Amino acid sequence: MEFNQDNRILFARLRFLQIVILLVLAAFTLRVWQITVARYSYYTELAERNQLRNITVLAPRGFITDREGRILADNVNSFSLVLYRDKTDCIECTLDKLSRGLGFDKNELLSVLEKNRIVPSFNPVTLVEKLTLPQVSWVLARYRECPELDITEAPKRHYRHSSLASHIIGYVGRISPEELASPSYQDAKPSHTVGKSGVEKVYNSQLMGQDGVRTVLVDSIGRIREELKFQQPLKGSDITLSIDIDLQELAEQELGDRAGALVALDPENGEILALASMPGFDPNSFSSGISQKQWGALINDPGKPLLNRATGSVFAPGSIFKVILAVAGLETGLINEKTSVFCGGSITLYGRPFRCTSSHGEVRLKEALQHSCNIYFYLLGQKMGIDRIAEFSTRFGLGVPAGLDLPNEVSGLVPTSEWKRRVLGEPWYAGETISVSIGQGRINATPLQIARAIGIIATGKVPPVHVLKPPYPAGGEAPIPEVSFSTEHLEAVREGMWSAVNDWGTGWRAKVDGFDVCGKTGTAQLISQEVREKLSDEAKEKFTHNAWFAGFAPLEKPEIVVAVIVQSGGGGGASAAPVAGRIFDAYYRKTRGIEPVPAAESADESGAGNGEL
Amino acid sequence: MSFRKSLYQLDFLLIAASLLLLLAGLLAAYSLSLGETASTLYLKQLSRVGIACLLCLILIYINFEILTHYSSVFYIILLLLLLGVLFFGTEIHGSRSWLAFGSLRLQPSEPGKIIFILFLASLLGRFKKEYLPFSKLLQCTVLGLLPVILILLQGDLGTAVMYLPILGGMLWMSGIQPKVLIIILLCLLLVAPVGWLVLKDYQKLRIKTVFNPNLDPQGIGYQTRQSLIAMGSGGFFGKGIGKGLHAQLGYVPESHTDFVFTLLVEETGFIGAFFILILYLIILWRMLEISRNARNRGGLLITTGVICFFLSHLVINIGMATGLLPAIGIPLPLLSYGGSSLLASSAALGLVLNINLRRFANT
Repeated sequence: MEFNQDNRILFARLRFLQIVILLVLAAFTLRVWQITVARYSYYTELAERNQLRNITVLAPRGFITDREGRILADNVNSFSLVLYRDKTDCIECTLDKLSRGLGFDKNELLSVLEKNRIVPSFNPVTLVEKLTLPQVSWVLARYRECPELDITEAPKRHYRHSSLASHIIGYVGRISPEELASPSYQDAKPSHTVGKSGVEKVYNSQLMGQDGVRTVLVDSIGRIREELKFQQPLKGSDITLSIDIDLQELAEQELGDRAGALVALDPENGEILALASMPGFDPNSFSSGISQKQWGALINDPGKPLLNRATGSVFAPGSIFKVILAVAGLETGLINEKTSVFCGGSITLYGRPFRCTSSHGEVRLKEALQHSCNIYFYLLGQKMGIDRIAEFSTRFGLGVPAGLDLPNEVSGLVPTSEWKRRVLGEPWYAGETISVSIGQGRINATPLQIARAIGIIATGKVPPVHVLKPPYPAGGEAPIPEVSFSTEHLEAVREGMWSAVNDWGTGWRAKVDGFDVCGKTGTAQLISQEVREKLSDEAKEKFTHNAWFAGFAPLEKPEIVVAVIVQSGGGGGASAAPVAGRIFDAYYRKTRGIEPVPAAESADESGAGNGEL
Repeated sequence: MSFRKSLYQLDFLLIAASLLLLLAGLLAAYSLSLGETASTLYLKQLSRVGIACLLCLILIYINFEILTHYSSVFYIILLLLLLGVLFFGTEIHGSRSWLAFGSLRLQPSEPGKIIFILFLASLLGRFKKEYLPFSKLLQCTVLGLLPVILILLQGDLGTAVMYLPILGGMLWMSGIQPKVLIIILLCLLLVAPVGWLVLKDYQKLRIKTVFNPNLDPQGIGYQTRQSLIAMGSGGFFGKGIGKGLHAQLGYVPESHTDFVFTLLVEETGFIGAFFILILYLIILWRMLEISRNARNRGGLLITTGVICFFLSHLVINIGMATGLLPAIGIPLPLLSYGGSSLLASSAALGLVLNINLRRFANT
């Protein structure tokens, strides 16, 4: 070679290059070994986490049906907007896009994200539920631009009859952090929808199904390439209520826009046939995630539509209480059927006048109940004393929750002298007992408690009340507890109640031909007589009376108890009795297979369509 | 000895290793066609391999000394082409480095490496001393940096940077006095902070993520991280051709070009990677041998230039795929999908074989 003189130095340089090459390739071999062999399992796990996505498929909730299997609550498929937080660097930007493009409130979206903070970021978060089709296409069209957004289809609660029986059924909503933390929602995830009130809440665990899982292979932009496994979701169990939609609908219609409540139950087994509370609400608005504005409107509504007045509100029972006092009087021997009292329209006790509705003259128990004579019961109550009144009230189920399978039941109050001393630090005044004798003053109860007490008079039995139709819970087999009142005494009171309806008593507007309705009216003052007299006419109008009617039918082998309260409805006989009458009538016709009366006739405002012959 | 007869003198080990690498590249492109995308890229690549082999044969045929002789002409053409690209070029992936003739697209900066090597060899080959005189060193550096600057102006940092190891390697092989070398290194050290300031933010981030891959797992670090996951999940034997889900599903970007190594390792595992590295070792080893036996200093320098070309691409590309170096999009010689890069590496191979063929002084 021509460059012999210096090829030694060139060869030395080549040898150096050779060493560099060897070192580089050796280093790479080691590095690849480290990655592929030494850290194989680590990277395999990462690869799977990248490629496999477990998508929870929400289980549909079980259906809720009425006693005849008619569906009250089922599910409809709806589209939800979900966000994959791990696929975007700027969640804020995405939310901005959404609020600009679809008009969603950014703060609400942020609060949804805040609630889901504990969810691992590779799991999607549902931002908005029940999207409209244009909204769905808006999102799908931005598939490349916003790979972090996706649409999922999920079953959503649907209440076929909107507000019908809203207080019994309740509503559903996204599980709250407090609920998540509680042991009764052990298996729940933040994305779950749970019952928030009504039977949706009480029977939530039965109604909730078991979520399915879709294991899918996703590519780098999150597109699903292949479904590897699909574990089908299991729908929750259906539940059947003891409610009869027909009666329920009629009850709500009859109360109409008047605030009030109605309870209809079977006194033999405690099944609730109808339980209405007006005004109601549409539970459908909750299933799509209620907005803060809607929620605020419901909460601040002076009519309190969310309140279940049948179980969650207490009212002075008014003259309805007389039937309880009557049983107590007979049981204690202070009166018998023949005991008579002279009613002159008013009586002065403890230096104060106490009034009656009119002058009834000589009355015995039957007439006292028939015409709702106050004097008779003033004197009976006076003889009995508050503590014995309280004892019997308690035996009729007042002062303690009725134990219905609905949430937020209140207990009402049965005052005793001991109670007043303890709570108010004052002695019980004998004059107060006189008020309590006609269901005024401190005593109060829920419409459900009143219905239950009437049921005890009707049958002498105290079945546990429930809206869920047996066999769940297995109540049918358990012996139904009975009260120890004498049958004769109960019969005497029933006779008085029968007269009140069928013998031109105060409850005549509840009469149903062929169906021996027995009942008692009540007109409860909202404020005491003394205060009322100081008020102007306008204010009197405002603080008018609550109208009550409670009764059962038929006299022999009672099948149904109805208790109605119409708030600020005025006289019980005029406002509440016709409502109850139409419930009895509808029940009678339905169970006996008689055609319903034509609408025009039944809508007769006098309510005497059936009662006046 | 006739030309045809002398063909038997060719280094068949080098040819075999190169063909196997070309095959591996085709296999990688083919494996993508087995996946969901069902791309037919491998057919396109197959035709390019044909053209590349033709170019290789042409470059074997013409005596490398003639090529070296006219290299200054080629050099000027290269500069004109690079200037042309700057004004009439087509922009792809943010850099304006492509010339389009109808549907044909060429990136002059890729085959330009060959002209660059030839031109430097012609400048340096005449010196027979132990060390280059300083004036010559300066002249070569300035002329060598001219195309680099033009490519930088195209916005193609990756390709421009890859000219530097060739320049450095060939200058070093020609002999740089130790004190000059020290001065150059010191100057580089001083320039480095300035260079850091010149770099764009995303380029800085790429460098930072090498030292901390978790810096930005969804952004710049994403490519490196996904590449590691893909390779790591391949294991010892790989997932099988066409079954490299990670690369196939698009987690690893550019899986047939810049990240072809990743794709092959995911599908063929450590075994495949080892095989590929061995093939490169054989190629570089044979080239060193050819360099040692070259007829003259020009031949030696050309071969050294090609070695530096291959080695630097290997280091940067595999270093990037294995998370050792910043992510710079440059192809692997002979393996990566892409016409211009394939033309450059097969032309380089042709040159080396040319020198191999004419190793005896009087052929």
